[in-house]
Amino acid sequence: MAAAELMPGQRRFTPAAVGADLLLLVWFVFSLFPLLWLVLLSLKTSAEQTSTYFAFSPTLENFSTVLSDQGTRLTSVNFLSALVSSVLSCGGAVLVSLVIGIPAAYAAGRWRFRGSDDLMFTILSFRFAPELMVIVPLFVIYNQIGLFDTKLGLVWVLQLVTMPLVIWILRSYFEDLPEDLEQAALLDGYTRRRAFVMVALPLVRPGIAAAALLAFIFAWNSYIFPLILTGGTNGTITVAVARYLGGGGQAYYNLTAAAALIGALPPLVLALTIQRYLVRGLSFGAVKS
Amino acid sequence: MAGVVLDGVTKSYGKKRGVADLSLEVGDGEFFVVLGPSGAGKTTTLKAVAGLVELDGGRVAIGGRDMEGVQPYHRRVAMAFESYALYPQKTVSQNLASPLRSGRTGSYSESEQRTRIEAVTTTLGIDHLLERFPRELSNGQRQRVALGRVLVRPADAYLLDEPLSHLDAKLRAAMRAELKQLGSMSSTTSLYVTHDYQEALALGDRVAVLREGRLVQVGTPEDVWERPVDSFVAKALGQPEINLLDAVVDGGELVAAEGAVRVPVPRGAELRAGDRARVGIRPRDLTLVPGDDVVGGAPDRGQAVLADEGARAVRVEGRVRLAERLGRAVELEVDLGGGRHHLIAVDESEAPLAEGDAVRLAVPAARVHVFAHGAPGEDTAAVRPAAPPADGRPAAVAAGPRTTTEDTR
Repeated sequence: MAAAELMPGQRRFTPAAVGADLLLLVWFVFSLFPLLWLVLLSLKTSAEQTSTYFAFSPTLENFSTVLSDQGTRLTSVNFLSALVSSVLSCGGAVLVSLVIGIPAAYAAGRWRFRGSDDLMFTILSFRFAPELMVIVPLFVIYNQIGLFDTKLGLVWVLQLVTMPLVIWILRSYFEDLPEDLEQAALLDGYTRRRAFVMVALPLVRPGIAAAALLAFIFAWNSYIFPLILTGGTNGTITVAVARYLGGGGQAYYNLTAAAALIGALPPLVLALTIQRYLVRGLSFGAVKS
Repeated sequence: MAGVVLDGVTKSYGKKRGVADLSLEVGDGEFFVVLGPSGAGKTTTLKAVAGLVELDGGRVAIGGRDMEGVQPYHRRVAMAFESYALYPQKTVSQNLASPLRSGRTGSYSESEQRTRIEAVTTTLGIDHLLERFPRELSNGQRQRVALGRVLVRPADAYLLDEPLSHLDAKLRAAMRAELKQLGSMSSTTSLYVTHDYQEALALGDRVAVLREGRLVQVGTPEDVWERPVDSFVAKALGQPEINLLDAVVDGGELVAAEGAVRVPVPRGAELRAGDRARVGIRPRDLTLVPGDDVVGGAPDRGQAVLADEGARAVRVEGRVRLAERLGRAVELEVDLGGGRHHLIAVDESEAPLAEGDAVRLAVPAARVHVFAHGAPGEDTAAVRPAAPPADGRPAAVAAGPRTTTEDTR
């Protein structure tokens, strides 16, 4: 009661508030430091790669090494083809997840039945089962039916990662959509399918963008599945990056850092392209009707 | 052209009751109003006709055809939603064209579509908004677009869910007057849902009153106004709300408010001396009776005088406790019988009474409603004069008191 009214945005200058801000600052530096370290490391020469000095003569050599045949010789993995493989398999997995997941999410959001929550939970549980738990049987199956080290096999396994995400995110979007809109379309003379395509689908576009991006990132960062289920030809970017850490030979930390930074570019570019939809997606449903 | 029949329609949402055993018959071309407070099952009733909810029981027939298993898009009904349900990504004209382009309401060429949309939007006064998106409209404009999407197409029945509820009072009165004059509206069977009794009485060929998912009364506006079947209907209609006073039968009269109100027992009503009942008097039925003796030394305690047996007017005396100006009229709260009871009356005279004034009120005995006795807050059936006994038994206190506390949860 004693404290004066504060305007929105106005700060109270107390030791506690200053302390909290300091703590936040420390936390901020702490969490961003690895990223900074990665950038610096990627600019160092091989001789300096283990030094902890921040003063060095920066070079872009690492990037050109990773992208050239030299890198392929060091790791016996072609980085560029791994990049292509990642783009194709992750894009494929997201596409499959959207084609199947959007109707599934719509059904889950609209049709409540006994056990529908249990079903949704089961779908989510695919996400929190450790990948290592299923990798051995998957490896055996993949070998037997010839999916090992194929793009199709990669799409198939990454789709396990992305599908639950897509369904869960989009279900809440469909639930937020007023049912009246589709009912109005039904009474306008449209079938349920046309009402879905005409009314519901355009309105959840931001949700689709958000879910697709998130799913793509999860698939992109997936490591265990591609590591075990691919060989030399269809390895993904995560596998290729890790090859620079050795695996029998020498560990090239500076090259690893450069490769990791290149590997982080596609999701970043994707995120920037669909940013427009993302912001709308996050504010969707904040305003009634 | 088709009548709509609901037969024993039942629908609940989990444990929440939507409608229970609702039977209605709406005639071909009739303008039928469903009136009830929120949660009475009005919207559920419309959605049952439209086929948008799966029924737990009962049947719906449109134009004599059973609608069991018939998809909404095959039912040939149009509905205006309370939430407008306008497609946000489409302009007004695209919204209005939507039912014309589905191919299930007939086929229209581009120019026919344009003609129809133009005709409807001109009628509704929204023809200047065609290129706007719903988010760029006011609520009143949205509501008219929603109404337009119904009127733009031919249909067997129009289902209108509170189509005027979000308009401001002035526009609402204007639209109410216009609505009935719309050509298509007067020739197409319409189910109109509202919680506004004035709309119901003004628009309806017939009115059905719903309460907690059950049909309480159905009849012409005169019927439900003049002869409410129970105190719930009586309270639902009229503003200010009807006065209800507990009464005891004594010497051929219903005596209420410690003798301040004495109403002759309606002829033929089965009420004996000592029976308890309730009298209901609508505030606007009470008229102020001028009298010098009242203005002068008025009696402290109100005393009812039953005079003019011929005119059968009930007279009540009391003192104004509260005078509240509501526009032209003044709403009076009048103390009776020492202040333990009160009546609401409406004073529309040039020089309205002030607080503390003594007042004499009169109401024709025929306009006094009599209901069965019940606990406070309980809704009770009307006591009917022994009208033509349809089933041979004398009409009397219909059933027992009905409780409002009927808890289904």
